[in-house]
Amino acid sequence: MVREFKLPDVGEGVAEGEIVRWLVEPGDEVSEDQPVAEVETDKAVVEVPSPVDGSVKELLAEEGEVVPVGDVIITFNVEGEEPAEEEESGPEAAEPSSGEGKREPTKVEGRPAVTKADAGEDRRAAGTEDEEAPTASKRVFAPPNVRRLARELGVDVASVEGSGPGGRISEGDVRSAAEGDRDGAESEESAGSEEGPSGLDEELSSAVSSQEGDSQPPEAADRERTLAAPATRRLAEEQGVDLNAVPTDETRDGEAFVTPEAVREYTEARRAAPTDAAEATAETETGPREREEREPYRGIRRTIGRQMAQSKYTAPHVTHHDTAEVERLVETRGELKAIAEERGVRLTYMPFVMKAVVAALKQHPYLNSSLDEESEEVVVKNYYDVGIAVATDAGLMVPVVRDVDEKGVLQLASEVNELAQKARERSISREEMQGGTFTITNFGAIGGEFATPIINHPEVAILGLGELDERPIAEDGEVRAAHTLPLSLSIDHRIVDGAVAAEFTNTLIEYLENPNLLLLE
Amino acid sequence: MVVGDISTGTDVLVIGAGPGGYVAAIRAGQLDLDVTLVEREAFGGVCLNHGCIPSKALITATGVAHEAANAEEMGIHADPAIDMGGMVEWKEGIVDRLTGGVEKLCKANGVNLVEGTAEFAGSHKARVAHDGQGQGSESIEFEHAIVATGSRPIEIPGFEFDGEHVLSSRHALSPDSAPDSLVIVGAGYIGMELAGVYAKAGTDVTIVEMLDEALAGYTDDLAAPVVDNIEELGVELHLGEAAQGWEETNDGIEVATENADGEESTFDAEKVLVAVGREPVTDTLNLESVGLEPDEDGFLATDDRARTDVSHVYAVGDVAGEPLLAHKGMKEGRVAAEVIAGEPSALDYQAVPAAVFTEPEIGTVGMTEAEAEEAGFSPVTGQMPFQASGRALTTGHTDGFVRIVADEESGFVLGGQIVGPDASELVAEVGLAIELGATLEDVAATIHTHPTLSEAVQEAAENALGHAIHTLNR
Repeated sequence: MVREFKLPDVGEGVAEGEIVRWLVEPGDEVSEDQPVAEVETDKAVVEVPSPVDGSVKELLAEEGEVVPVGDVIITFNVEGEEPAEEEESGPEAAEPSSGEGKREPTKVEGRPAVTKADAGEDRRAAGTEDEEAPTASKRVFAPPNVRRLARELGVDVASVEGSGPGGRISEGDVRSAAEGDRDGAESEESAGSEEGPSGLDEELSSAVSSQEGDSQPPEAADRERTLAAPATRRLAEEQGVDLNAVPTDETRDGEAFVTPEAVREYTEARRAAPTDAAEATAETETGPREREEREPYRGIRRTIGRQMAQSKYTAPHVTHHDTAEVERLVETRGELKAIAEERGVRLTYMPFVMKAVVAALKQHPYLNSSLDEESEEVVVKNYYDVGIAVATDAGLMVPVVRDVDEKGVLQLASEVNELAQKARERSISREEMQGGTFTITNFGAIGGEFATPIINHPEVAILGLGELDERPIAEDGEVRAAHTLPLSLSIDHRIVDGAVAAEFTNTLIEYLENPNLLLLE
Repeated sequence: MVVGDISTGTDVLVIGAGPGGYVAAIRAGQLDLDVTLVEREAFGGVCLNHGCIPSKALITATGVAHEAANAEEMGIHADPAIDMGGMVEWKEGIVDRLTGGVEKLCKANGVNLVEGTAEFAGSHKARVAHDGQGQGSESIEFEHAIVATGSRPIEIPGFEFDGEHVLSSRHALSPDSAPDSLVIVGAGYIGMELAGVYAKAGTDVTIVEMLDEALAGYTDDLAAPVVDNIEELGVELHLGEAAQGWEETNDGIEVATENADGEESTFDAEKVLVAVGREPVTDTLNLESVGLEPDEDGFLATDDRARTDVSHVYAVGDVAGEPLLAHKGMKEGRVAAEVIAGEPSALDYQAVPAAVFTEPEIGTVGMTEAEAEEAGFSPVTGQMPFQASGRALTTGHTDGFVRIVADEESGFVLGGQIVGPDASELVAEVGLAIELGATLEDVAATIHTHPTLSEAVQEAAENALGHAIHTLNR
């Protein structure tokens, strides 16, 4: 029989993944647990194993395609099982049957939202678009107040599964759908820095499953004439979309009519599933560079963007700047560097800064906290898991060094180096990037003095390090050269006031300027 | 700007104070938008002044007379005399009250009322010409415009409306007296409604219709009781005959027709009423200057937010296309205002009801059985004849039936077709069921007042479910 395999939930709270590389081809024999694909999620690349012994029948996603969790990505021929579903195709084939779905996380099966198969069955009632039932598809069995609510919450009421008689959609159904979408989005955004709450997977799955229908490569229409509002035409132009190719069921005076939503949907779907033609063009084009080039905003870049935006719009940022004169730190590190090297450890300034930060955090505990917005409580952490921002080719990643207060400088140096290396190689796990209590970002490694670091939400503070360099110091009317370290501390002003930030920085400077004090810690 | 022009600014300019326009203006006012409503003739538009309300007034009045004169069976013996002048005066009183009410409501909601004829003079500018010498004009700068200029009766070649011999529906609703004889061109709903009015007022009415059926657009079983009734009133119905022209004769006029085989006929009458449909009024608006072009029938295409192709210009009511119904225009007007105010409003209605005020009345909403089937449903229907309705028997009107159409699988009510007494009212229940996503069970399980005509809707639902009490089940 044919065994379908859906993209599983490859990591906590992951909604979709990009098929980076197929490791098998149609016809290949595979054994259970043999990796068949590399899938990149928002933080990591993971290998997806085969669920069965058998042979690869068909690959259903292109390399580079972003596939929602729960979409069928590959089918296998499995010997010795009933060929009952061999001929199945279309929506039903995607339905998780009790036998087929057993290898999948049960949370995917148990999701409340509309699956493709559900949509097929309910197409007349739920009003999903379908060629067989063009007029029925216009009907939505939901009362006007519910339809209005759906518009308010940005829910496509046609995609909501109704819980009422005959599948009638209630206010609660729409709210659930909206919650599912929001929770999914939020989880995705915060997944990089926070453990998901229990039940998250289920909610995520519901958010994901409602997107299932969009994951198929869009079939381009081929009309000669298309009506659309000027704004829609402009949008299409901006997106580089031919209006005549945008599928639509709407008509005006017998002519196809395309709405901005249709253009957006088409564009999105097309990006998610690039056509062969588009790829071929991209590969064979050798002419002069385009005036503008468009690259998909997704994967790690999108996760970073969302995380940054969420932090910036959630936490009122204030950045406090100061400078530490670190002559003695330079000396100390110089002395210890050789010893560290003997022990096979490359010693940078970072472990010293981490120790100094933890010492200062202990004196100013609100900088090592987070705000639980739901319960309106400030969660002050008595453990010190410090995130270190690492620039990688894919973008910024923040591995977390645990229990910094319990570790020596050399051990910290060793751990930081190891985690940074893993981040750059993208072999770092999600767990190694979650649960930090405070973050340090060292933009000075590249150059510059001050910046405005964005807080790694839901932490409440982040320390930015400028370049440690010799700078002029004015003292007693004289100017002398000394090594200084510019510091930029961003705080969440909801929790931390400017004065506290300044006090924290003063303490930090004290430790940086007198590294011997760290011995007392 | 021409010398003497006054220029004002407004958030929302509404052109036309008919049902679409005044509803849009009032709603926009309620949403704290600065609204200017321009009307060239009379607040309330065609509906209040020359359409729905006057026709229903005359239909009711002549109906009362006719009922009284034909109620011997009930033991009533009367010979009512119709004073057409008095009747029209009564109707004008109603119209005045309603149009005055609309004006008051507009003002109470902060709508600036401007009398004059508006036309566009740029993407965000309109000019309003005031009638009369020396009245000048004014320019209005607007953020958003709502076109609600409505429709007018279609003239056919050879039958230019003169109000004397050739009447439009508008003329026919304000007669000085009932003519002795009248030829009505067109057996659509307006022609059929007015045929009833005039026949009951004592006029010899002849209808000529180019098509082979009266009330085209309604299924035969709905049209048949109406046709039977109109013929019982003595109206001559000539189908398949196209009006060719008319001539004045010594006694009045003579209307010439021709059928598909080329055979010609003539009909003598005092006057001829042309009721062949309505066309949108978009040619007076200088639409070009705002960047809009109507379609070949004169309509403005709109999206589900009542927006035209120019995003800050909306069109509501008859100008926005079929069906040309006041209640559709009112909904569009409300949506346009709300969309402009940033509300999450949309034209997402599931069905638009329609009513014909003939005798008996016809009320329809949603899908017919055939339409439901075509749409991919498995339709089931239930029917209740008014002959089985106790209340219908007591009104003396037992023609017709209620039919309800639903999806057999889910039970959802998809449509209803009613012909019979008060069908225009009864159809509202079916419309509500459709909008709410009610099932046959819901309708059947709702207690209806006895004895009423609305029980027929419940019975039809019961019939569709196979457990009707008062009729044989399907």
